[in-house]
Amino acid sequence: MKLKNIFLLGAATVAFTACDDMFTPALENNQDISQMYNDADFARGLLYNAYLVLPYDGSPSTELATDNAVSNDIDNNYKKMATGSWAANNNPINQWDVRYHAIQYCNIMIENAAKVSWGYSNEGMNQMYIDNFLGNAYALRGLHMMYLLRAHAGFVGGEYLGVPIHSSSEDGSSDFNLPRNTFKECVDSIMSDFNKALALLPEEYGDVAEGGVPAKYTKMGADNSHYNRAFGNVQRGKIDGRIISAFKAQLAIMAASPAYAEAGAMTYADAAKYAAECLTKFGGLSGLQQDGWKWYDSDLIDNMGATDKNPAEIIWRGNLEKSNGLESDNYPPTLFGKGRVNPTQNLVDAFPMANGYPITDAKSGYDPKNPYAGRDPRLAAYILVNGSTIGVDDTPINTQADSETLDGLNRENGSSTTTGYYMRKLMRSTINLNPSSNTDAYHLQARIRVTEILLDYAEAANEAQGPKVAVGGAPYTAYDVIKALRKRAGVAVSADPYLEECASSKDKMRELIRNERRLELCFENHRFWDLRRWKANLTESAKGINITNVGGVPTYKTFDVEARDYKDYMIYGPIPYSEVLKWSNLLQNDGWR
Amino acid sequence: MNKISKHLLSAVLFSVGMPAVAQEVADTTLVNVAFQKVAKEDLMGGVSVVDYRSLMEKNYNTYSMDNMQGYVSGFNGAGMWGFTDQLVLIDGVPREANNVKPVEIEQITFLKGAQAVVLYGSRAAKGAVLITTKRGKVTDGLSVNVRANTGWNIAKAYPEYLSSAEYMSLYNEARANDGKAPLYSQQDIYNYASGRNPFRYPDIDFYSSDYIKKAYNRTDVTAEIEGGNERTKFYSNVSYYRQGDFLNFGQAKNNSIDRFNVRGNVDMQLNDFISAYVNANATYYNSKSANGGSYWSQAASFRPNRVAPLLPMDVFDKNSMQVVNVLAGTKNIIDGKYLLGGTQTDLTNIFGDYYAAGHNTWTSRQFQFDAGLNFDLSSVLKGLSFHTTIAVDYATTYTTAYNDSYATYEPTWADYNGKEVIVGLDSHGTQDKHTGNQEISGSTSNQTIAFNAHFDWARSFGEHSVSAMLVANAFQQTISGQYHKPSNANLALQASYDFGKKYYATAALATPWSAKLAEGHRLGLSPSLTLGWKMHKESFMEGSIFDELTLSASYSSLKSDLDIQDYFMYLATYQSGGWADWNGGTGITCMQSKRGGNEALGFISRNEISASVHAALLNKALTIDASYFNSTMKGLIIEAVNQMPSYFFSYYPESSFRSYLNYNNDNRSGFDVAVNYKKQFGDFGVQFGGNVTYYKTKASKRDDDAYENAYQYRQGKPLDAIWGYECLGFYKDQADVDNSPASKLGTTKPGDLKYKDQNGDGIIDNKDQVELAKGGWYGAPLTLGLNLTLKYKDFSLFALGVGGFGGNAVKNNSYWWVMGENKYSAAVRGRWTPETAATATYPRLTTEAGTNNFQPSDFWLYSTSRFDLAKVQLTYDMPKRILGEGIVKGLQIYVSGSNLLTIAKNRQILEMNVGSAPQSRFYNLGVKVAF
Repeated sequence: MKLKNIFLLGAATVAFTACDDMFTPALENNQDISQMYNDADFARGLLYNAYLVLPYDGSPSTELATDNAVSNDIDNNYKKMATGSWAANNNPINQWDVRYHAIQYCNIMIENAAKVSWGYSNEGMNQMYIDNFLGNAYALRGLHMMYLLRAHAGFVGGEYLGVPIHSSSEDGSSDFNLPRNTFKECVDSIMSDFNKALALLPEEYGDVAEGGVPAKYTKMGADNSHYNRAFGNVQRGKIDGRIISAFKAQLAIMAASPAYAEAGAMTYADAAKYAAECLTKFGGLSGLQQDGWKWYDSDLIDNMGATDKNPAEIIWRGNLEKSNGLESDNYPPTLFGKGRVNPTQNLVDAFPMANGYPITDAKSGYDPKNPYAGRDPRLAAYILVNGSTIGVDDTPINTQADSETLDGLNRENGSSTTTGYYMRKLMRSTINLNPSSNTDAYHLQARIRVTEILLDYAEAANEAQGPKVAVGGAPYTAYDVIKALRKRAGVAVSADPYLEECASSKDKMRELIRNERRLELCFENHRFWDLRRWKANLTESAKGINITNVGGVPTYKTFDVEARDYKDYMIYGPIPYSEVLKWSNLLQNDGWR
Repeated sequence: MNKISKHLLSAVLFSVGMPAVAQEVADTTLVNVAFQKVAKEDLMGGVSVVDYRSLMEKNYNTYSMDNMQGYVSGFNGAGMWGFTDQLVLIDGVPREANNVKPVEIEQITFLKGAQAVVLYGSRAAKGAVLITTKRGKVTDGLSVNVRANTGWNIAKAYPEYLSSAEYMSLYNEARANDGKAPLYSQQDIYNYASGRNPFRYPDIDFYSSDYIKKAYNRTDVTAEIEGGNERTKFYSNVSYYRQGDFLNFGQAKNNSIDRFNVRGNVDMQLNDFISAYVNANATYYNSKSANGGSYWSQAASFRPNRVAPLLPMDVFDKNSMQVVNVLAGTKNIIDGKYLLGGTQTDLTNIFGDYYAAGHNTWTSRQFQFDAGLNFDLSSVLKGLSFHTTIAVDYATTYTTAYNDSYATYEPTWADYNGKEVIVGLDSHGTQDKHTGNQEISGSTSNQTIAFNAHFDWARSFGEHSVSAMLVANAFQQTISGQYHKPSNANLALQASYDFGKKYYATAALATPWSAKLAEGHRLGLSPSLTLGWKMHKESFMEGSIFDELTLSASYSSLKSDLDIQDYFMYLATYQSGGWADWNGGTGITCMQSKRGGNEALGFISRNEISASVHAALLNKALTIDASYFNSTMKGLIIEAVNQMPSYFFSYYPESSFRSYLNYNNDNRSGFDVAVNYKKQFGDFGVQFGGNVTYYKTKASKRDDDAYENAYQYRQGKPLDAIWGYECLGFYKDQADVDNSPASKLGTTKPGDLKYKDQNGDGIIDNKDQVELAKGGWYGAPLTLGLNLTLKYKDFSLFALGVGGFGGNAVKNNSYWWVMGENKYSAAVRGRWTPETAATATYPRLTTEAGTNNFQPSDFWLYSTSRFDLAKVQLTYDMPKRILGEGIVKGLQIYVSGSNLLTIAKNRQILEMNVGSAPQSRFYNLGVKVAF
């Protein structure tokens, strides 16, 4: 009896052995890297990590640390950065971790793409997938490297240094104490990656008819049905040859700019050439989309099919998605928004009059008592000024300091404007945020626009050969580009005397090109980097406008909203503090510590 | 001693432990320790015990672990010997300490030392608290006890916030400091200050009697029935309690908690050599509350001037069609005369929530069941027995709710002939919605299965007593929403020897198993050895002042996976996460590396030396128990952050190539002393207990590569060090700002806090943080517990004092760190202004984030040292001569007060809860009747 009981209890013990986590861990979906060779979805998923962290923001971020805008959110990191907290261990623009991490996945793909069984019986198709993923991996490695360089390259004891080049994947036993490569070595390595990618990827994804398949693949037995899966319409939105040519233009203009020119990696002539090469693929200047400067708020995107070609303005874009996040952040508070991005008076003043003259020019006709009248149409399109209307009901927005509504200057901390302006660009005016009838709408995030590359060209061509010389194989000049962009926006449509005035001097033209760039690309996070590569003044305080009615008449007073507290060395970003401490060969940029 | 040495040498497997006993526990009392009961006199250090049944005769508690530091040493309220996260076992099964009621408890044992918990395995590596419930006794007929209590909780203190007018004028000052124009006009401020129309110019005081009761009631009643004979004994306990809430309006008025439970157990002698027992407990718990956020957190953040929560209908302009339409459409008319108020920025508020957002009930059900068998196997081998227990617990919770939404209205006021009326109401899109549907959410279901079995063998051969125990124990918990199940599996052998109850030796070897480690690394070896010497039994001690003097010492090395957070931490692995999109492809799954591999990842080891002394003097009226401990947690796991580059980790999608290492060591050392004195002088009896526990901690090994300066190193510093800036006072003026190291922490202006530039690099940033003080995160570094019982005839007076000293904290809650749109507390009255620069106690006000000032620094540091008069109870036991021989065999009446008094330099801070319900004093009246 007793022994039997003991055995029964022994059996109870055995029952426990069946419990997961007691003696062996309950299964998790743990997979080993070697699985990529037999599981194409696994292999793809590795590279797609590098797509998940593309270096583009759909809403203003770094812009908030420039003279273009301030945030009304007292906890905004870019606000803190601009007002003095930027440091090597407190760096909102740190790219080190996310970019190198993505590069690690690119390297894993580069090393293994040919070993993966992509799962197609057709050899040609298998090869197409190898080429597609290898090509994307090279392009992405170059892209992520380019953004590492922009955020971390700098001047160290007389030398322009880039960042360490990672040409192979790493594991726990790798040597991490790597010195930084020179800026030029980095640029060369990026260009080399772009070129490798170009050799593998088509110029443009899209379905082809029979006979449209490259011989390389037909020799391996592939036909157009195979090609259309690997490189057809369904692949649109991934990196192709045209997008890579835009990357090259972006890299070139950065490397040719004053901040890096002495590194000798690129000249302005190179930059003009790469920009022209890219633009040729988009129809050059004549391909300019006339409503392209308002690409974000157009019926075009509401009717776009997922795999349709992009509008002519767009070189690369994110997915079309229905949302209202941008609007709930940035609509004025009476329309239930948080009024986050507040454009500065500095930016408003940068918009010329409709006649093309800057407001500071005596010929402009600017009336300080009626400052928003007769201005460049882009001002009203991009910025909500006092009295503008917005929203489904065209609600007038009163941003005056004596406004009775929440939209008034500094009325409600955290939702009212701190500058007297609200942002309008990028947002869909059809969105209603009223809690009882909340709506959303499609948004198209433009990662690279033709306008940007045109401005790259104009800048490079002007620097290389002056305003009126066609450079780098393009049939148009810097002057032509600026004229076309201003005309498109409705500035000085019939005649542009101010442009003619500038066209006589490279220096005046430079100022005009830079100003046009500021306006065309505002709120798209270019300004922060442009100021730096130009070695321009970083410390111009952000200004606002205080409007009050005196005797029934609005009076306008500008005031300083926020300092821009940058030191000279801050034209280059820092290497992360923790990494400089850990790795003795990793040198910090001058000035940072 | 030679004999002992021999036995030690012959023993292959060993481990450590010695106990100290407190609170009037007799030498022969059996103390519950791991898997067995041991006579108190045979405990050799590392253990403290509370006789809860007799404690409850003079001190009625409402929570099982209430102020236990007042009765035992080594436990400081948070944990034992510098550790927290102790394992709580109720009748040997891991259960919640709040699911056993004080009236149900027989005894609580604190297993402090490593030697005392070795048999339990991994999960008890930071100490264990054994709560043993009452069992039936042999009685003459049934013994019935009924106890009833009713008492009131009265809030100790509320934080003080500024009135609307004062807030508004100081907010204007803050704006001026930031270079902004005033928001409120003098007329506005005057209107709010005048109080003439609180609906137009609200001034909400969250702590006023409009919303808060002075006191709320807690009432309980318990019936205990027990009885039995030599073969069968039973105990049962049925109890109910109900408690209210401070809130006094809307649905929140009905907030309450009800709890009902039945506990019972039966012991049976089945035959000559088999006995069995069954324990069961069922708990029903409902907590009813109004929907909406926490009132107390709103009280700490919602500014007084923002919204009038109620709009009186008698000031509505009945000629306004818009107002008339609103009234016709609304579903929420409060108390027949109010509409709910709101604004576009505060569309809803806590008052509206409590009036109109519905209500919910959180329900918890717990069922617990144990069964055990004991076999006397003397017929197989003399002295051998076998014992086994299996336990199954179920706990479910769910919430039932009626979730309504409601409209609030922003009024437009106008003056008609000197009368202020509401002429417009704007709902800003909010709408009334009554669902009428009961919604069920938050269902959880948890389960525990526990099993243990042990062979015990004990024999005496003349003066040699030998015993051994082979124990297997395991438990596993299934927790809702948690994939992996907390588990514990352990096999252990313990051997004990004593010679004439004079020399003691106990050795144990446990082999905890952990499925969290890689194959081949899952078995740990935990040895423990304890030696004890009852010195008073030596002839040379004859005639000494000591009635008893016992010394013991112990060494253990416990292996534990308690601090290994996850499974598979050793394994390099890829998992899917995140979705990539492009034009034609959406939701394409990505694969990320989750970590780098390290198959060698191993157990964490608690290596501990302890020594104890037990002494009894004055005919045993005075006992002293003292222990010293020095314990190191070795091989705590870190992620290889400094060994690998930062880019081996990425936040989104979370992806990592970093591996985990056994690296950090934490040292804890200290002592505890318990003194107990008990003496009867005629009708007058006195009993006193004093307990002191001291511990200190040290990070004995750390990877400090991330720190540039030696003063930043964590190694060698306390585990609970508070790090922060050394404050040099306020910036005096702009010149002071300009001439001081630049702060990277945020904007600095005169009146902001100025910090010391520790590394002299000319900037203030987080590299300038230094060790400021000890936090006391594992309980106060020095804990004092005093209990005193005075008896005179049928009256007894009990008093309990507890103190905690040496801890510090940072004033970093919203009461102290007032920035931006925060509610302004009374603390800001002492703000810096150019005029008050000399006397200011608070930095200049700002509507910005104030990130320079609101950092941990010694400016905000305060000591949490305190002494509390935790309890006073006066008890009257009605004597037999009055009760007579009727059915009532005993009658006890008592009154008590809890948390009566705090003596502390920072009492006001310590007594003030910000953002949570207030601390309260509790006054109780109770009666106990025995039948």
